[in-house]
Amino acid sequence: MIDIQDLTYTYPATDSPALKNVSLKVEEGEFVAIIGANGAGKSTLCYTIAGFIPHFFAGTLNGKVEVAGIESQHSTLQELVLNVGLVFQNPFNQISGAKFTVYEEIAFGLENLGIPREEMIKRVDKVMALTGITDLAKRSPYALSGGQQQRVALASILVMEPKILVLDEPTSQLDPIGTREVFQVIKEMSNRGMTVVMAEHKVEWIAEFTDKVIALSRGEVLLQGPPAEVLTSPLLPQHGIGISRYTAVARRAREENLWPAALPLPVTLDDAVAGFVGGLENAH
Amino acid sequence: MRERLFLYIDRDSPLHRLNPFTKLVLTFALILIAFLGPGYYLATAIFILILIPLSFWGRIWREFVSTSLRLLLPFFGFLFVMQSLFYPGGQTVLVNLWIFSVKAEGVGFAYLTATRILVVVASFLVFLLSTHPSTLMTDLARRGLPSPLIYVIVSTLQIIPQMRVKAETIIDAQRSRGLDTQGSLRKRVRALLPLVGPLVFSSLVDVEERAIAIEARAFSAKRPKTSLVEVPDSRAQMIARWVFVGIVLLAIGSRIWL
Repeated sequence: MIDIQDLTYTYPATDSPALKNVSLKVEEGEFVAIIGANGAGKSTLCYTIAGFIPHFFAGTLNGKVEVAGIESQHSTLQELVLNVGLVFQNPFNQISGAKFTVYEEIAFGLENLGIPREEMIKRVDKVMALTGITDLAKRSPYALSGGQQQRVALASILVMEPKILVLDEPTSQLDPIGTREVFQVIKEMSNRGMTVVMAEHKVEWIAEFTDKVIALSRGEVLLQGPPAEVLTSPLLPQHGIGISRYTAVARRAREENLWPAALPLPVTLDDAVAGFVGGLENAH
Repeated sequence: MRERLFLYIDRDSPLHRLNPFTKLVLTFALILIAFLGPGYYLATAIFILILIPLSFWGRIWREFVSTSLRLLLPFFGFLFVMQSLFYPGGQTVLVNLWIFSVKAEGVGFAYLTATRILVVVASFLVFLLSTHPSTLMTDLARRGLPSPLIYVIVSTLQIIPQMRVKAETIIDAQRSRGLDTQGSLRKRVRALLPLVGPLVFSSLVDVEERAIAIEARAFSAKRPKTSLVEVPDSRAQMIARWVFVGIVLLAIGSRIWL
């Protein structure tokens, strides 16, 4: 679904590239997380997959970026946005400002695509139910909480039925409740077979939901592989990437021989508990 | 978050249900007729015989009266005082006040100006109080107004109140760092820079993000757009609009030939 080879990209008016020799593949229906410290190139990679690089941000792009069978350099942003939906951090700035109610806001993208009114209503109703915002239909999109606004932003993209959903730290400005609400929608979309690429810091969520993790450091791919492997790698802290507290505790426990050496390190609370309980039972 | 830049009052009335373009044409027609048409009392007649009944028909008369008064009363007071005392070429003295004298020509001129301005303000009020900007813009888009222009107008209505909220946050943040925003004019002007700077820069960042957000929603897709909101229109209203235009032409004619 996504095939990137030897991608190097430099923003205009900067000297060093934001992405260096990045190669990665995402299969159809996969849920892939991108992790990395601030400035590692997560957002740049998201913008590239969504086509905003090189069509919105100028700059120099080398290498091949193929998304949903289209080489993005040889296409236009208008074509690319039909395949890839982009949701980013700030919920407030994703509200178009063109509409006065949530319902109209979600329909905005469909109006631009020239979808007939009857179908528009069907699709908006469906996506509002899916994202759990049906009761907000008549509210002003500006009079909502961050979590609600982000779900409106998500619904506004999902209603356009993209093949790939790209999320750039969709929960970084949300409280725990808002985060949970947004993650549940994303998980649901992934379960329904949508290809999802998400830049995110919250490793416990990543471990629970995703199929693959790509770790970036200073614009280069540091690691890529299954979440349990990548998220417990000792390389992450060395590159300023946050790890799960459960991984940290278990690693420390292993040094003290309290965690079985053969058992992989945990990322989630459940794995950590299972590991420690198993260790205790063996000791008895 | 009740603050907003538009006056629309959500009520159910036949005036609300009229096509916004019909109301827009009527608004401009009334104003042009008041200025160009014959007769000293024409503007007065338009106000009493058309605009006041319209405000009742649209069930907005309360807001109509209070907003008109608030907007116009101070201005009219000033207008009458200045014109009645200092109207050039005034001959007929009505009252003498110390070294000043109130002249009939001045009062007459002030009355004509006041009633015409009243028609301008009142026509727009009837229009704006009964027409949601969203309906108006949807209708104008259907009639061929370019969508970027429509976006600029609608988003301004929405985003300026948000910028005000942001400005207040910045003021609070700078005050908590010890910025003095009260006191003499010089102090206040000096305090402006640390307020305007962050507001302008953060708004520029917002603009870029918002541009990405609307592009992601296919804003510049090169295909005919459709609309969720259906704006009612009828043959009768179309005829009415042409009749309004015809009356305006007659009013212009009256200028030339009468």
